Amino acid sequence: MSLANSTKKKAAAQSSQPGARSFVKPSFIHSPWAPAILGVAFVIVAILVGLLLGTVTDFGYTRMAQILIMMVLLLGLGVVTGTAGMIALCQLSFAAAGALVVEYMALYHIGDYFGQWSFFFYMICGTLVAMVMGLIVGLPALRLRGVNLAVVTLSLAFVFDITIVGIGFPAQKTGKFIDRPFGIAGSNDASALGATALVILVIAAAIAVGVVYLQRSRWGSSWKMVAFSERGTASAGMNVQVAKLSAFIVSAAAGGLAGGLFEMIFRQGVTTIYGPYASLVIYVLSAVVGSYLVDMAFFGGILSVIIPFILTRLSWPLYIGDMLFGVLGIQALTTGSNLGEDIRRGIRKRGRAAKLEAIADVPREAIKIATVPIPKGTGKPLLVVKDLGVQFGAVSANANVNVTVSEGTILGLIGPNGAGKSTFIDAVTGFLPHHTGSVEIDGLAIDKKSPSFIARNGVRRTYQQDRVPSTLTVGAYVRFVTGGKATRAEIDEVLDFFECPTYYSPLSLVDVGTKRLIEVAAGVAAKPKVLLLDEPAAGLDHEQHIAFGERLRQVPTKYGVTLLIIEHDLDLVRSVCSEITVLNFGEVLASGSQEAVLSNPEVLKAYMGETEML
Amino acid sequence: MLLNTFAGLTPGVFYGIIGILLTLMAQLTRTVNFSQMGVGMFGGYVGMTMIQKLKIDMWLAALVGLVIAAVLSGIIGWIIATWLPNAQIATRSAVTVAALLLIVATSSVLFGANHSNFKPLLQNNVAEFNVGDVKLFVSQNFVVLLVLALVILIGSSLLLKRTMFGVRLRAISDRQAAAELIGVNVKVLNVGVWVVSGALISITISFMPASISNDYISFSLLVIAGSAAALVGAFKNPWLALLGGVLIGVLQGFVSALPALAAYKEWVTFILILVFLLWNQRKEVWDVAR
Repeated sequence: MSLANSTKKKAAAQSSQPGARSFVKPSFIHSPWAPAILGVAFVIVAILVGLLLGTVTDFGYTRMAQILIMMVLLLGLGVVTGTAGMIALCQLSFAAAGALVVEYMALYHIGDYFGQWSFFFYMICGTLVAMVMGLIVGLPALRLRGVNLAVVTLSLAFVFDITIVGIGFPAQKTGKFIDRPFGIAGSNDASALGATALVILVIAAAIAVGVVYLQRSRWGSSWKMVAFSERGTASAGMNVQVAKLSAFIVSAAAGGLAGGLFEMIFRQGVTTIYGPYASLVIYVLSAVVGSYLVDMAFFGGILSVIIPFILTRLSWPLYIGDMLFGVLGIQALTTGSNLGEDIRRGIRKRGRAAKLEAIADVPREAIKIATVPIPKGTGKPLLVVKDLGVQFGAVSANANVNVTVSEGTILGLIGPNGAGKSTFIDAVTGFLPHHTGSVEIDGLAIDKKSPSFIARNGVRRTYQQDRVPSTLTVGAYVRFVTGGKATRAEIDEVLDFFECPTYYSPLSLVDVGTKRLIEVAAGVAAKPKVLLLDEPAAGLDHEQHIAFGERLRQVPTKYGVTLLIIEHDLDLVRSVCSEITVLNFGEVLASGSQEAVLSNPEVLKAYMGETEML
Repeated sequence: MLLNTFAGLTPGVFYGIIGILLTLMAQLTRTVNFSQMGVGMFGGYVGMTMIQKLKIDMWLAALVGLVIAAVLSGIIGWIIATWLPNAQIATRSAVTVAALLLIVATSSVLFGANHSNFKPLLQNNVAEFNVGDVKLFVSQNFVVLLVLALVILIGSSLLLKRTMFGVRLRAISDRQAAAELIGVNVKVLNVGVWVVSGALISITISFMPASISNDYISFSLLVIAGSAAALVGAFKNPWLALLGGVLIGVLQGFVSALPALAAYKEWVTFILILVFLLWNQRKEVWDVAR
């Protein structure tokens, strides 16, 4: 009880200082990829200076190229393992596929339609093959949860390696070398390798920018979302398998491209670098550094080249480096942190105090909530649920439930705990495909459809549990839920209206009660026809309840969103709902206008119990 | 062809046992233990080094290997039980991937790049018979592995269903927090499962069929064949895992008899994994109950 109270107090304290946890757009130096830009700029300058002065040795250029290629591999892997939270153990197999295709096409001049640029066509072909491989492996594994992807990718790494060793790389077998692009000399002297390294740098930088762009797009948000909650992802209208598969295929593409880049520098495939062991090492390295962060992928590339270099100089066994990665990997994976996040947390801690102060100087205008009457709606039936039944084994969770929500109204769905209210929402939003009866939204039948289809077609929901991932910012989350349809101004307006933290606030700093408000705001911003709210006000205190009710009353007219609300607080229900349906033991106990239902003796009995009635 | 297919039975049962142990571990500790073979291998190489350097008896070396594997497995289990008690299965399993890397790298440093192969403890045949003009052998290893598989299967089933101890074990796998609240020492039981699993895999390796290649990485990656076997039972049914293991062994034996395909016999495992993943995903599964 005291815990619940303290949570409420915390939420109350928070909302009484609007904007206290809000963030302005971070400046360049605070932006998370500033280090990467600086890092890449440094390498560019280093290579240019090296080329101009002729001081860098061939050895140096090869190492630089290797660092960049490892960065590409790690960055791709980071999308699956870091962002989407899955285990993929065949990154080097994708690289091997990419390399094999490039080498074969270049050696036998297949598809050299583009002259000096043909090499890039080969790389694109290699990347496509790697992506198809990713599709074949990912498709069966990704619909299931858990470690299936780990099993199938490890297996692929193993068999693919055996096969590659068996058939061999064509250039290596025939003792030939493939040509580099742009007529760069095939020799291994400093000028040729320097020019190659420069080309690799440009490509690697383009890939890095591409991956960063994807990470920040709706796709990236879907990857972060799916790592946190599959149900939440589906409810935002994004197919869970598509989200997972897209992450995996992006990673495979990066692998394939890296394979092509290996060919560019070495001109001949070497089977030993593509084995399952190498894939294991890179997976663990990715976890250690947090390679979904572009600067950390670059750092991981440096580590993977520098450590063997140092060990060779010391004449120590190279495996000592992998032992180190193993130990750090166990540390990183058990604590769920990584080098990149640790560094960022350190930077943020230093910057936070100043930032909060700066924000406190610009208080957000207190929103005046207009008092509007309970919306009456147009009278047109919008969401029509007929004879809905849900059976869990012998238990009937919903039976013959008929509910009609009229356009522009707020319907209250109430009932004691275990009455089947959340089951009703689950069934309507597609999470219980075995339900009986029919569900229609604005004339469109949506029963037996997938949750993401239903969400896209106008029925959205929020959850009792926390389904808002801490890895996103408030704005990115709302943008993702709205499917990218809401403009920045619209998002800001909704966030303001519900007194949520501002666009750039990290969700990791937001407490659970406020997250629930953000979830409601995002649902409203998505402008569905009907929004189903599952106890949206739990965790708010009485005054906040009233303010929240005032806002909800405005939603149908202001945003054109019809609401169905599950709520235990009858004061809130009374203040917003024109119609009420009461569920008890999975069946409709009463339904009708607010006054009629709340004065129904059967309803009072179900709520208060027999004794209190007497 | 018959000879090869029949010869696949012994590795098949071997894969089956790995599959059974993976299944039991997944059920009892919510972890797919990728380091399982690595742990057994490490113990085995310590034992073998002692045979070479200290000239100790082979059986004693096997015992040393067993103890080391059990302790190593226990340590990994302890780490996971301590820091990730309520984490999802993928998070817990990821730790064993890092552990696998650590074990393989450490083995390479300690035992060198060139090492001799394991010798099975038993090398004789118990029976031989003729089918047509093909002479088939039943090795001691096969008999021991089969008995071991059945002992693990029946033993674990009796333990889990008939004893109070088994009830506790099931409780920690189902609802760990609830089990903790009614006074079950979750951590000790968890680590116990890991120790026993390490010991069992070490025993299994001691009777490993000689035909299986064993450089560090190929050896540790026998866990792939084991997880393919476990997938046949969807990581839930250990009996089907044994069946799956035998299926893989026999199919691989059969394929290796076909000259055109012999080099690709490992693909059998991969294809079987794909098939069973497709089969297992008939039903849509969400990450949480609600």
